[in-house]
Amino acid sequence: MIGKATNFAFTLTLAAGALIATLPHRSAAAATEKTNLTIGITQFPSTFHPNIDAMLAKSYILAMTQRPFTIYDKDWKLICLLCIELPTFENGKAKEFDAGDGKKGVMVTYTIRADATWGDGTPVTTDDVAFTWEVGRHPQSGVGNFELYRRIVKVEAHDKKTFTLHVDKLTFEYNAINDFQLLPAHLERRHFVEPESYRKRTAYDTDTANPGLAFGPYRIVEVAPGSHVVLEPNSTWWGKPPHFKRIVVRVIENTAALEANLLSGTIDYIAGELGLTLDQALTFERRQGHRFEIQYKAGLIYEHIDLNLDNPILKDKRVRQALLLALDREAISRELFQGKQPVANSFVSPLDWIAFNDLPKYPHEPKRAATLLDDAGWSVIKDGFRHNAKGDRLTLELMTTAGNRLRETVQQVLQSQWRRVGIDVRLRNEPARVFFGETVRKRQYPSMAMFAWISSPENVPRTTLHSEQIPTAANGFGGQNYTGFRNKEMDDLIDRVELELDRGKRRDLWRRIQEIYVEELPVLPLYYRADAFIVPKWLTGIEPTGHQYSTTFWVEHWGVRN
Amino acid sequence: MRTLLARPASAGALALLALLIAAAIAAPMVEATLGLDATATDLLARYRPPSAEHPLGTDEIGRDVLVRLLYGGRVSLSVGLVAAVMAAAIGTLIGLTAGYFRGVFDAALMRLTDGVIALPLLPLLIVLAAVDLSKLGLPEEVVRAEQASLYRIIVITALVGWTTVARLVRGVTLSLRTREFVRAAEALGARPWRVMLVHILPNALSPIIVAATLAVGQIILFESVLSFLGLGIQPPLPSWGNMLTNAQEIIWTAPWLAIYPGLLILATVAACNLLGDTLQEALDPRREQKR
Amino acid sequence: MLRYLTHRLLQGIVVLTAMSFVIYALIGLMPGDPIDLMISANPQLTPGDAERLRRIHGLDRPIVERYLAWAGAALGGDFGYSRAYARPVLDVLGGRLLNTAALMIGAFVLALSIGLPAGILAATRPGGALDGAINLVCFVLIAVPTFWLALMLIILFAVVLGWLPAGGIGTPGGGGLFDTARHLILPVLTLAMVESAAYARYARAAMIEAMRQDWIRTARAKGAGPVRVVLGHALRNAMIPVTTIMALGFGALFSGALITETMFAYPGMGKLIYDAVMGNDFNLALVALLFATLLTLIANLGADLIYAALDPRISYAAPERGARGRRA
Repeated sequence: MIGKATNFAFTLTLAAGALIATLPHRSAAAATEKTNLTIGITQFPSTFHPNIDAMLAKSYILAMTQRPFTIYDKDWKLICLLCIELPTFENGKAKEFDAGDGKKGVMVTYTIRADATWGDGTPVTTDDVAFTWEVGRHPQSGVGNFELYRRIVKVEAHDKKTFTLHVDKLTFEYNAINDFQLLPAHLERRHFVEPESYRKRTAYDTDTANPGLAFGPYRIVEVAPGSHVVLEPNSTWWGKPPHFKRIVVRVIENTAALEANLLSGTIDYIAGELGLTLDQALTFERRQGHRFEIQYKAGLIYEHIDLNLDNPILKDKRVRQALLLALDREAISRELFQGKQPVANSFVSPLDWIAFNDLPKYPHEPKRAATLLDDAGWSVIKDGFRHNAKGDRLTLELMTTAGNRLRETVQQVLQSQWRRVGIDVRLRNEPARVFFGETVRKRQYPSMAMFAWISSPENVPRTTLHSEQIPTAANGFGGQNYTGFRNKEMDDLIDRVELELDRGKRRDLWRRIQEIYVEELPVLPLYYRADAFIVPKWLTGIEPTGHQYSTTFWVEHWGVRN
Repeated sequence: MRTLLARPASAGALALLALLIAAAIAAPMVEATLGLDATATDLLARYRPPSAEHPLGTDEIGRDVLVRLLYGGRVSLSVGLVAAVMAAAIGTLIGLTAGYFRGVFDAALMRLTDGVIALPLLPLLIVLAAVDLSKLGLPEEVVRAEQASLYRIIVITALVGWTTVARLVRGVTLSLRTREFVRAAEALGARPWRVMLVHILPNALSPIIVAATLAVGQIILFESVLSFLGLGIQPPLPSWGNMLTNAQEIIWTAPWLAIYPGLLILATVAACNLLGDTLQEALDPRREQKR
Repeated sequence: MLRYLTHRLLQGIVVLTAMSFVIYALIGLMPGDPIDLMISANPQLTPGDAERLRRIHGLDRPIVERYLAWAGAALGGDFGYSRAYARPVLDVLGGRLLNTAALMIGAFVLALSIGLPAGILAATRPGGALDGAINLVCFVLIAVPTFWLALMLIILFAVVLGWLPAGGIGTPGGGGLFDTARHLILPVLTLAMVESAAYARYARAAMIEAMRQDWIRTARAKGAGPVRVVLGHALRNAMIPVTTIMALGFGALFSGALITETMFAYPGMGKLIYDAVMGNDFNLALVALLFATLLTLIANLGADLIYAALDPRISYAAPERGARGRRA
């Protein structure tokens, strides 16, 4: 009977396998007169308020309904979306002022597009700017990026459309106000009467489908919590009229199910920002490449291993360098990711203008790694592992987020590669909540922690590399210098680079910062993660940016291939 | 035992279970014989089909599937068997005590049972995953061992899995304690514990064993669900459950990576259930009495 | 009986209160608060920001104080706001409960209507061909993890055949009752398949047990037909344990089905609780879990009452009285 059972099950599973092999060729729909687009993503936003909680799913959807003043375009250049012209010192719209204590501040003047109008017909004005600032800097409003609004000491409205921001610190990013997302004063002011309960009353969450909340190409018309969001064109949009009459964003968290939904035609397109894992996309391409175009874009998601520099073993620079030399990151990138995720040499993406090609690199050189380890005193090899003179084994612990299959896969490859040079690496993983919420944040990982940083173009690594940003109980575990990296020169460079307006001089500073980084190796760089956009052949206009601003900021250019 | 072997289905089940356990125990020997290493990855030999070198092929990072299945069997079977036995033991103790002493004891224990049944597992698991075991006085060696996740899972499942057995045993005890033979023992001055262990427990064994055998399969599956949530057995330790979960995202490329562990779980579940069925019959107290 | 019920209800309230604290403490003990999660998502937050946000969300106070404040408000009918959704907890729960009710009750009914008859059929001739076949199917269903079953059903019915939607709760824009029902079929089927196997196993075991009783043999000897024996005599007795299991199963329904909901992108209680716990949405997780606990406790009480009502050997107050049961 067991024999029968097994046979039966085997037939079942074989049948399933056969089903998978002979998968359907049902096309999503007749492409020609497609006016609806259904996008699949893996996360549902918890709030629709643009300035509360930074969440990728939310900014993905809101990019269709609202536009910030400034943003990086797909060539990573700062451009104006809601404003007319970027203020600069050259065009006279940016001016220095004395912010006290010998610090320099900056006054930047922007003009809102004349045709910018909220979906209910109310023009977008400097009233909205003043209101947004008022909400943002109010300590009780619950806005996440308080720092941005705190730095603005004054908002000066010249007329309905032109205003000047007084910012208390002049940095090279002085004219970027990407996160200053405008709120409609005419709808929101009455909810802000009691600032402490604003969060619970905001129209973004109580009346999400209100047309007055949008001034972009689309507006939200329906929200089914946990399931989908429906958007339709906004009649007051100033730019190119969008092609699609209706965009549905469906949320399917499980990526295997997400893929099946795409094949069944329930969704048309899987967004790269929140979509399939890279290896899924690669095998998907092999099977369905004739129907879908897979666009890969490596960008600013920097996958790396933080080293706890308080660990006596890792205090030795030679051990850190040996760890990296022992890894064959090229092979991982080539075999697991087909080269779509380039090997990282530092925290700066090769696509960034401050990247340098000629900095020292760490190729796969196990022999050099072995020499360095010998020099560092780990020269006695017993049972295949290195020991020091005292007989201690060279044992390190590599931790990461549990349940992230791709990361766990890479982790096991790393473990096996280190083993070949005699380093005993143990794996211990924790759920993301525990890992980020406790272990990494409070620097409780004993030796190595593997995760990713998401950054923006020319991102100053103050929070991760400045010695003031080492989390301790004394500073309430603020800061993200989880490695405990202390370097006087680095601190000084970070302070200077932020304030340096001259691009040429800044580039020199950036070079020195990266030189120290790759020499000291507080962090083992792995690779830059790539997003895979699964685009049906009939869909055009999707241009991955590689940075944190999603493709939907250009949704009006999406269309159907003739 | 005689009944077990007399029925072909249960004899087969027994043989199968023995085979699975033997294979799991033999994992290091198979590994050595084949000249393989369960954790050694080979990026140039991913998704290899079965060959003489790799009898069941290789997985997504070039590890031998057969050896991993055997090691996975060690984990899954020990989680299933150990946790099931522990849970049954706790449940029996609580059920016996509650059913025999009744009154306040019974009420308190049964409300405790209600509480545990209603206890939300998810936050519990996350809290336990974050508990620093070294602070509990466990030796560093155990805490840092890659098997730590295995011990956690066994303890957690045992701690929350005893409720069914407790309810069953309590029910049986409640009705048994009024029977003549129990009364007679009490009249002769037997201590409560003696009555419970010698007179009541043997008669309550049937439901306990059925519940425990059913639990083995359920626990193995429960581990796979935990893996699905990232709370299960952690890599590089393989288990049938986490192998199955991992195969989910690569189902289109390598369905066989799911089929093998799936079949092994199926075989274990079927074997345990068939065994449970037969045991239930074999241990039926009425049979004993008739003889 | 009334006395017993009052007793049990009082005990139930004690358990519920204790559980509310246990759950509160469990969620509070979990490492990392929502602000930590925000910081890891947004590197620009400064320590000052974090502290300010903690104060706004009341996370800077000790847990017992927070619990008492919460419990006081809850007794007054104010269950607080969900942190993540910035909506009153009951608002957030409402829609999800409806979804879950549709999904779970559908699955429960389907599972019973497949599982019970299958179990009874199997028990009519234990060891026979039909018994073997039913057991086999049960083992397969018990051995298949839910996420695999769900994925297979999606591939078969949505991708290959294209008969049913692959997931979601309805066509965006609304498609009426029929549309909702179509979206329910696959998740209900997934859940029902797994559950029906368990019910079939329980029903089979209970029936076999019942058929072995002496009085069934007596009924047979007296010339009662097999159908009459099975349906008239054995079934009634076998229903005792089965009903208990059913009642217990019903209590678990409203904690949702996390895996099935995830695979079918179906917004129900399971996913809500999971997200609330993972995202440290204190109030929401608490209320949702307490609600599930309450239902479990009620169902446990129901199970005990049914058990007592069906089995005369167990009585509420005076155990001695009904001691001589008819089976003994």
